[in-house]
Amino acid sequence: MPINEYAAFLSEIKEVIKHTDLEYTFRMAYGGDVLPGQFFEVSIPKFGEAPISVSGIEDGIIDLTIRRVGKVTNEIFERYEGESLFMRGPYGNGFNLADYYGKELVIIAGGTGVSPVRAVVDHFANNPDVVKTMTFIAGFKTPNDILFRSDFERWSKTAGVTLTVDDAKGEPGYNIGLVTEYIPKLKVRDAASAAAIVVGPPAMMRFTTMGLLKFGFKEENIQISHERRMCCGIGKCGHCKINDVYVCLDGPIFSLSKAKALLD
Amino acid sequence: MDINTKKLKKNAFRVTKRRGLTASRVRVPGGHLKTEYMDIIRRIADEYGDGTVHITARQGFEIPGIRFEDMQIVNELLQPVIDGMRINQPEPGKGYSSSGTRNIAACVGNRVCPFACYDTTAFAQRIEKAVFPNDLHFKIALTGCPNDCQKVRMHDFGIMGMTLPQYERDRCVTCRACINFCKKKSVEALKEINYRPSRNEEKCIGCGECVLNCPMSAWTRSKEKYYRLTLFGRTGKRNPRLGEDFIKWIDEDSIVKIILNTYEYVEKYIDRGAPGGKEHIGYIVDRTGFEEYKAWALKGVELPAIAEVNQTVYWGGVKY
Amino acid sequence: MGYKLTPEAFSRIVAGLSERYRVFAPKRYELGGHFSDTDIIRYGEISAGSEIIFGEKSAQSFKEALLPITQVLFYFTEKEMKESDFEQKDVLVFLRSCDLNAVKRLDTIYLRNGEEDYYYKRVRDRIRFALIGCPEPFESCFCVDMGTNRANNYDFGVVEQDGTYFVDCKAKDLADLFSAGTQEVQIPPLFVSKTKTRVNIPEELDASVATASMWEEYDGRCINCGRCNFSCPTCTCYTMQDIFYQENGRVGERRRVWASCMVDGFSDVAGGGSYRPKNGQRMRFKTLHKVLDYRARFGENMCVGCGRCDDVCPEYISFSRIINRLSEAMEEVRNADK
Repeated sequence: MPINEYAAFLSEIKEVIKHTDLEYTFRMAYGGDVLPGQFFEVSIPKFGEAPISVSGIEDGIIDLTIRRVGKVTNEIFERYEGESLFMRGPYGNGFNLADYYGKELVIIAGGTGVSPVRAVVDHFANNPDVVKTMTFIAGFKTPNDILFRSDFERWSKTAGVTLTVDDAKGEPGYNIGLVTEYIPKLKVRDAASAAAIVVGPPAMMRFTTMGLLKFGFKEENIQISHERRMCCGIGKCGHCKINDVYVCLDGPIFSLSKAKALLD
Repeated sequence: MDINTKKLKKNAFRVTKRRGLTASRVRVPGGHLKTEYMDIIRRIADEYGDGTVHITARQGFEIPGIRFEDMQIVNELLQPVIDGMRINQPEPGKGYSSSGTRNIAACVGNRVCPFACYDTTAFAQRIEKAVFPNDLHFKIALTGCPNDCQKVRMHDFGIMGMTLPQYERDRCVTCRACINFCKKKSVEALKEINYRPSRNEEKCIGCGECVLNCPMSAWTRSKEKYYRLTLFGRTGKRNPRLGEDFIKWIDEDSIVKIILNTYEYVEKYIDRGAPGGKEHIGYIVDRTGFEEYKAWALKGVELPAIAEVNQTVYWGGVKY
Repeated sequence: MGYKLTPEAFSRIVAGLSERYRVFAPKRYELGGHFSDTDIIRYGEISAGSEIIFGEKSAQSFKEALLPITQVLFYFTEKEMKESDFEQKDVLVFLRSCDLNAVKRLDTIYLRNGEEDYYYKRVRDRIRFALIGCPEPFESCFCVDMGTNRANNYDFGVVEQDGTYFVDCKAKDLADLFSAGTQEVQIPPLFVSKTKTRVNIPEELDASVATASMWEEYDGRCINCGRCNFSCPTCTCYTMQDIFYQENGRVGERRRVWASCMVDGFSDVAGGGSYRPKNGQRMRFKTLHKVLDYRARFGENMCVGCGRCDDVCPEYISFSRIINRLSEAMEEVRNADK
């Protein structure tokens, strides 16, 4: 008999990290192969499945940073350490880390867009020698929305890290402004050969990639991640189709040269 | 000139404002006719009338300007129209044998209209067959769906088509068309439970919007046809009012039976001293009480199990 | 060459087959139409050949035989998931050439685009096809221009002519059924080679046509009911649904139901995002999927020209006309670029 791709396995919640009221990271037991940027269909029977991207990878553990936005994620937030979630995956292409080896790498993320790139940033922060340089610019709305706060301190020891908020709400000690404002100040020697990853809300990605192109980055060296409704994760249900691509199979990571041709 | 106006009226002619001239009233049960009959009506109007015809409020034709002495020849000319519309006639060649029970009117119905839940004309013709040539003053109208384009609530018997929606859950794809249309165009009888519509049976008026708008045929019409029967709406001088619901989810046979029962009831209770011996049924019911009427109306009627009978009915309207 | 059968003989043979197979065919559902006193022709299980409707096109396609409209994938309790059962009986589907070509499109999505679909595969492995021959095209058919007026991967084909049934049997194991007591005769053609409705997909068609003005017309005309998708033999989209039963809240099912890219909610993402709010945008998305995107990915058009979407549209929007407007639309877009 063929394999039933829709069959989910139970994975134990090892730890729950609360970032904000709306964003928790669930550290899940998982021993299989997985790439940063890939996603799992996470489910609770009765409430349904939701595609959640991998925000951290360790031995036997993957992190799923979940924003509470709907029926399924509301229910997931009611689950505690020691309980389990149903999962299937991983799906999608993910970030191939070797692609960035030896390059100047710029990663720009906005809001929950930080989750899918976190494992990439983490990898190169831990292995700074495999890239020429890594610069990470992350933007959040307010200080209350900041995810992975402790990671930022650690990463800044080995990489150029900029954390900015749209509005500091009066709290001192924050950079204020959009991520795009930091693009002209990037310390990149050869933009034409440098690699960039941009993940965030659609408008943020649009303006950020425009800024990078202006800076001299090449379309084919910029990668973005598309968020679409990925219902089956395996190229059948059609919800995530754009032009001739299926985001769940061919993405969610696309080079800008491919992504710019995609029209919903 | 010596004319028996009582006989003339019963023969479906009219006393008009112009002395010596009458008008012939042609019954068209269900308001739908073959055009060949219009040729005859035209000929009568051209040769014996004044070359005009009035389309009446009850979907008949009134041919004015006919001289009293031409009534018999007009009756003879009308014979194919009377035969063609299968009007009961005790004596061929003598025109219509009564006029009290008015032409049975109907909206265009499902011969044309997508909303209609039945063939209004066919049912009108069936009722015509059952009640004519009764001369009591009854007004009956049929409409295909609860939109009531025929305004049947202004009649003694208002018949409104309904369908009992049938739901096949496995054909449903949660497009929500039924729920949205029921909410926007009808009575909001559907709500979503577990991705599927759930029908409030009490609220549902059987309009069929769910069926019409279901792209999957998950909703279909019941094989049985159902109706809402409204009673004793009327226009007129004293107390015009809308007909009120009597029975919801009634069947065709029961409606015919109730109308026939009502003729017996009226025969018994009508005020013989009323002008012209005519009295609207509604005023009779006002006098005897609805309970008494209901007992007569439902005599021998076997309603479908689903039928909902209103135990008491109150009418409003304008009282002068 | 093939066999000539009386309606009775044909009906009996199909009745016999229905004991071994679940037989799906276009059949008449009396009073099943949207409007009162109307019938509908659509697919359903049959138990005799006399139930098959040859002379009319079905409003919906055969695809529910392979892809049930609602299909339960799992039954579950709070802690366990159990795969749904399925009927262990082979399936025989009567279908026309356009639809048989559509099977290939379904196979492509369900077996080759990503991992094999387990639920599709388990039926697909047990299915056989009986071709319904088309003596004449219907008014809205445009199979010839889509290259789908012919097919050969059927087990037997049957065409009705003046009340007689002619069978072309390819499957060796079924030949005895038809040959018993009859002689081989020349049979009429199973396929049409001309249609009244013609389409022309411009060679230069590309995604830039999205900016053409023609789509705006459908913002107002289309009512996004989804009938075009649901009647389409090649539409493959579905949506997952989890429910717990109302009667017993501790057990439930995970199921999938057909979905339509024309209907509200298709592209909604958690948190409120949504794409293609306008009906014209949805029309463009659907059109390009059928005659461009799928071809770019898999090498042939998805649309098989059955014309059902034209037949069922309550707003009289013709898909074949949309295809035929694309040349002009491309020209408009190119001129705008100059």
